Amino acid sequence: MHELSIASAIADHVVEFAESFNPPKKILGVRVLIGELTCIEPEQLKFCYDAITKETSLEGSVLEVERAQAEVFCRHCSYRGRPKFWDEALSDIAVATLQCPSCGKAADPISGQDCTIRTIRYAE
Amino acid sequence: MIQIEAAPEEIYDIELEHSLLEANAKLAKENRALLDRHGVTAIDFMGAIGSGKTTLITKLVEKLKDRFGIAVFNGDATTSSDADQIAKHGIPVVQIATINGCHLDANLVGKACQKIDLSKLNLIFVENIGNLICPAEFPLGSKARVVVVSVTEGPYMVRKHPHMFLGAEVVVINKIDLAAAMEVSVEDLARDVHTLKPDIKVIATSCKTGVGLKEVAAALVAV
Repeated sequence: MHELSIASAIADHVVEFAESFNPPKKILGVRVLIGELTCIEPEQLKFCYDAITKETSLEGSVLEVERAQAEVFCRHCSYRGRPKFWDEALSDIAVATLQCPSCGKAADPISGQDCTIRTIRYAE
Repeated sequence: MIQIEAAPEEIYDIELEHSLLEANAKLAKENRALLDRHGVTAIDFMGAIGSGKTTLITKLVEKLKDRFGIAVFNGDATTSSDADQIAKHGIPVVQIATINGCHLDANLVGKACQKIDLSKLNLIFVENIGNLICPAEFPLGSKARVVVVSVTEGPYMVRKHPHMFLGAEVVVINKIDLAAAMEVSVEDLARDVHTLKPDIKVIATSCKTGVGLKEVAAALVAV
């Protein structure tokens, strides 16, 4: 359940932002970017955010999750782009691998590891 | 209750680009710099409860303690039973109680580093909490990450927890003395690991018979 610690980190940061104004801003929503290569589950993250903001100044604010696509770079054949996905893995969702789709050797992730607050929406 | 809604012209968006994992990543870098200054290599062991992390670390300590100054950081949610087992070998052991937290983080490892005399050490083995999902997101400052899987966890272990392997350098497939009884193919597990990450080092071991332990010790000393 690392979603809970990430949801708390989001809430802490947003509260800090709101309270940096006098009077504090009313927060309407937060938009976060979560990369495809993280194991952070968007639905669980939203659930945790709603649960921990209940009866706080953030209650009713909406957490939106934007997904960042994974990209890899292969130092063997210089391929740059979407990773190879493992379709036969047990999951319904294809699993991103670090195998180069072009030459089959090891590729390095260059994007998709994000876990970032992008915007905070607030009212005057 | 009277509720008023902000009109669209009263709503603002502020762009931040604030990374939520950055605080941990920054501390991990600081840990790494501190360890590098003292010439200490930290290795992080991850794996499910019962995969054999503690026994493997104990066997590696037995093999390496005469040649290297070794300490062990033992992450455990509640108990010190693993730390006690390793401490019998007369090396410094720091128990890191996460109090029900599901992973170690760089802050806890940094605090553990302050509890021991780094100048007497070459290697620190960090045993993470028995959990195959959360630790992947939290680097600790180690030079290499080892994932321990055992054949007793079944044939689909690797497919079920792909993220854990993407950030690791070494995979130990443990308890291979039980592979036949479990009807689990060590080769299939190794193939799954290489499907996810072709350049990862896979070593099959049994802490009971001792097979593979020399290779693990050599791989860790070489990182």
